Amino acid sequence: MSEKLHCRVRAPLRTDPAPSVMELRRDAKAGSPEQEPPWQALPILSEQQSGAVELVLAYAAPVLDKSQTSRLLKEVSAVHPLPAQPHLKRVRPSPDPGRPHSLEMLLCLAGPARDSRSLAELLPRPDVDTRGLGQPFLVPVPVRPPLTRSQFEEARTHWPTTFHEDRQVTRALAGCLFSAQERAAMQAHMERAVWAAQQAASKGLRAVGAVVVDPASGRVLATGHDCSSAASPLLHAAMVCIDLVARGQGCGAYNLAPHPACSFAPAVRAGSVRKLDEDEDGLPYVCTGYDLYITREPCAMCAMALVHSRVRRVFYGAPSPDGALGTRFRLHARPDLNHRFQAFRGILEAQCRQLDPDGLDAKA
Amino acid sequence: MEAKAGPTAATDGAYSVSAEETEKWMEQAMQMATRHAEMVAIDQALDWCRRRGRSPSEVFEHTVLYVTVEPCIMCAAALRLMRIPLVVYGCQNERFGGCGSVLDIASADLPSTGKPFQCTPGYRAEEAVEMLKTFYKQENPNAPKSKVRKKECHKS
Repeated sequence: MSEKLHCRVRAPLRTDPAPSVMELRRDAKAGSPEQEPPWQALPILSEQQSGAVELVLAYAAPVLDKSQTSRLLKEVSAVHPLPAQPHLKRVRPSPDPGRPHSLEMLLCLAGPARDSRSLAELLPRPDVDTRGLGQPFLVPVPVRPPLTRSQFEEARTHWPTTFHEDRQVTRALAGCLFSAQERAAMQAHMERAVWAAQQAASKGLRAVGAVVVDPASGRVLATGHDCSSAASPLLHAAMVCIDLVARGQGCGAYNLAPHPACSFAPAVRAGSVRKLDEDEDGLPYVCTGYDLYITREPCAMCAMALVHSRVRRVFYGAPSPDGALGTRFRLHARPDLNHRFQAFRGILEAQCRQLDPDGLDAKA
Repeated sequence: MEAKAGPTAATDGAYSVSAEETEKWMEQAMQMATRHAEMVAIDQALDWCRRRGRSPSEVFEHTVLYVTVEPCIMCAAALRLMRIPLVVYGCQNERFGGCGSVLDIASADLPSTGKPFQCTPGYRAEEAVEMLKTFYKQENPNAPKSKVRKKECHKS
């Protein structure tokens, strides 16, 4: 068996050059005596969650004899089970109270032809005895179950649906996902990222800063800023931070010695979140279970690197024009990629907006 | 794609890697999910520029990347940022591909993310697929086990 190779750390990095959170707070207060403007962490939902309700045409018919409803329901559902639309309720109260019938029943989805059909064409005998039903009509119904309350409100205007509310998303959209204590910690981490961005700016580098935190312990594992230059164009803040976390785990690839504001803490075995993904005979991916705070929305390269690194959550301040976690793409919430994570924007947005966006080419 | 499947890149053929360096690059490739072949190749080419005193922007603008598998979304964005004009690749990358399979980062309108690049897909694609199949059969001994596979193991 070959001996395990170890990566050489090229130059010792200072592990904690950044000022403490308390110092940062004091600086901020000294600079601006008025209260900071409030910020809101907005969840970046998947395209499916945030999109409009998609509709498809279906046939429904009025129930003229109410006493036949349960029998009709049983027979129609057996013939047309609608396996892809379990969220649709079969019977709804008539939307127009002036009509003689009080109930309407969903029969089946309409084909591409979408022409008017008779009951006999839609409901084969003898499986369905159509006694009690009126003339079928076309009606648009939601294709997929609603995922958010606003989608549910929209969906039910077309046809009643069931709604299994994702409590976390609802609380997030209402802006009450995080406690005051959590918000204070989030703000402190983003202040550290802003500080890193300012360090970069003072050296003529692009002002993007990032911090990786283990949410289980609250420990900052890496602080980095954009280090890209003509000689190393890919050293965006998120890539630098992933490399710093890897360095804390005994690896890492970039030479960040010329950038003392980029620092890391050696990995310690801790964190209940992380343990879930650990394996008896291996380590988790570089950022499994960790949170990233970054002043600007990551570009496609950084966002996909975060997918590959299995980050848990990303908090960013302000969007970027080519951003891949909300603006141009939502790489964190794609069902066709093998890892998904939560993304929130708006943390210290006002301060972050004054810093550089991610993804712009390095200044020549 | 996972890091170890072994695509290659070439600048102008005048670059060789020492055994020690090979060890260094391979160690990174095995331990980090972001050290894909393209990223390693870009860093090697940047190293070459540094040693030769050449400007990376000039070198990369005249560089072709040859890779056995379609670059993933991350690598496609990196190649745009490097302004590499042409990528010749073998098989499609159905799971992570950034040149059309999952997203088309290669030709997307992203004015702040470098320049779009051209692709010549399908070159020796069957061989590339075979290499991937062999790789997935053997599995990456350094990758953490997937939860799905773990469950399957328990069942059987």
